Amino acid sequence: MPTKFDVVVIGAGPAGSAAAYTLAKEGFKTLLIDRGRGGGEKELFGGRVYAQPLREVWPELDKEAPIQRWVTRERISMVNGDEVFTVEYKSPAGKSFTAFLPQLTSWMARKAEQAGALYVNEITVDEIAFRDGKAVGVRSGSDTIEADVVIDAEGVNRLLLERAGLVEKLKPDHVALGVKEILRTGATQLEASFGIDSSEGVSWVVVGDITKGVPGGGFIYTNKETVSIGVVLHLKHAIEAIEAGSLNQHVYELVEGFRLHPFFRRLWRDATISEYGGHLTIEGGLKFAPERFAYPGLLVVGDAAGLLLSTGVNYRGVDFAAYSGKLAAEAVKYARDHGGFTYDNISVYETYLKNSFVYKDLKKHLAAEMLMNDPALFAKLPRIALGLFRELYEQDYSTPTPYEALISVLNNENIGLFNLLPLTLSVVRSL
Amino acid sequence: MKLEDILQSDVWNVDEEPHIVVDYTKCEKCPAKPCIYLCPAGCYTLAGDRIVFSYEGCVECGTCRVICPMDAITWNYPKSGHGIIFRFT
Repeated sequence: MPTKFDVVVIGAGPAGSAAAYTLAKEGFKTLLIDRGRGGGEKELFGGRVYAQPLREVWPELDKEAPIQRWVTRERISMVNGDEVFTVEYKSPAGKSFTAFLPQLTSWMARKAEQAGALYVNEITVDEIAFRDGKAVGVRSGSDTIEADVVIDAEGVNRLLLERAGLVEKLKPDHVALGVKEILRTGATQLEASFGIDSSEGVSWVVVGDITKGVPGGGFIYTNKETVSIGVVLHLKHAIEAIEAGSLNQHVYELVEGFRLHPFFRRLWRDATISEYGGHLTIEGGLKFAPERFAYPGLLVVGDAAGLLLSTGVNYRGVDFAAYSGKLAAEAVKYARDHGGFTYDNISVYETYLKNSFVYKDLKKHLAAEMLMNDPALFAKLPRIALGLFRELYEQDYSTPTPYEALISVLNNENIGLFNLLPLTLSVVRSL
Repeated sequence: MKLEDILQSDVWNVDEEPHIVVDYTKCEKCPAKPCIYLCPAGCYTLAGDRIVFSYEGCVECGTCRVICPMDAITWNYPKSGHGIIFRFT
């Protein structure tokens, strides 16, 4: 292996592979390093990917990528005990798809390899190497590999940026824990139980007491023959709940409770569990971002740069990551075409990123975290929605008017009519 | 189901060297011990009132490192392709 590259990319996830692919196509001597044995085996996510930004990196995406199902139905459920309130939106196909992340990123890394990048596995990078304040390569054990530019795509657990002193240690209020199971149902049962045909897919967000009052929620994504399900817990609130004694179950038991919930369990009756895992996901996007996206000799992309959007309804990470990888590669190209890999030149990445939909989207949602950051509010919303339906439909003799039903719910939840508007507004603002 | 049965669905290539090291003297002073509840792989368990840790089933999420109130955990990724092997997620 040569010891000097134009660019070394740390991590063959969506961000790293997109960067390496774009760089290799431009003729850069590119090294893509991953700690797994190949095949994206360290990758875990919820299950849905937005396609259009990826098509800008890989125009052949729709034809070639290992897509499980195009999402055609968006469902949101609110749950309190046995009561469930669900809304469904039937959407056109082609906007987003479900996938197995190991398969998808494996495809992305192979594309980078085919374009000419050197893709090396089973290397855990210990440190980014610096000389005179400039990143000059990476160190793994006693080996150092040099490069003009280092692209850090190490993901949410950004040990390397922490060790370089560029970011603080990860804190519980920065992240949520997602715990996930893959349930093998077979395509026939899956399509029958979800009420879809073979060309359809479901993305389903579940909010309510399945997280025992801890802000977060559940998710369901349909694959070809399996269903991905899981629970997300905001770690700061999870710790507070443990300390207060209100969360005294292991997190896998919450997933178990969700899987066995009387309303949901019929969706995957007789399924077997094919895989179980956990992953941290960024909360508050840009609040998690490093002080800068570009440093001398170093560009930060993907999760490591805080480029993940989570609104409670929408979760976008893979496309943001891949797009940022592409932009970092374009910044390296700009530097080559304008006299070299100086900080002034490569930092054009900051401009590219800030002008992109990725940064604008994250900035727009930065203020909108109220729902997730207020456990009381978080718990109230599903109870109000469900209470309204209960009042409207569950009676023995007298039928309430919608107004009476609303007043009764608000009384039960100790909310005055005049508090409803601010509550509704804060919820709407936070979505 | 028990967690250990659910974990049977996963595949590992376990390293001989642990990638996570726990300072148990700090755990003794930890009142809430959130790792017991929040490590998805159940690597942290109680034996009496003492923490017992095993790295073999780690899914490499990093949660323990983030939540440990005592800063008792020295955390790294497994070396050279070792550790969890995700196939579907």
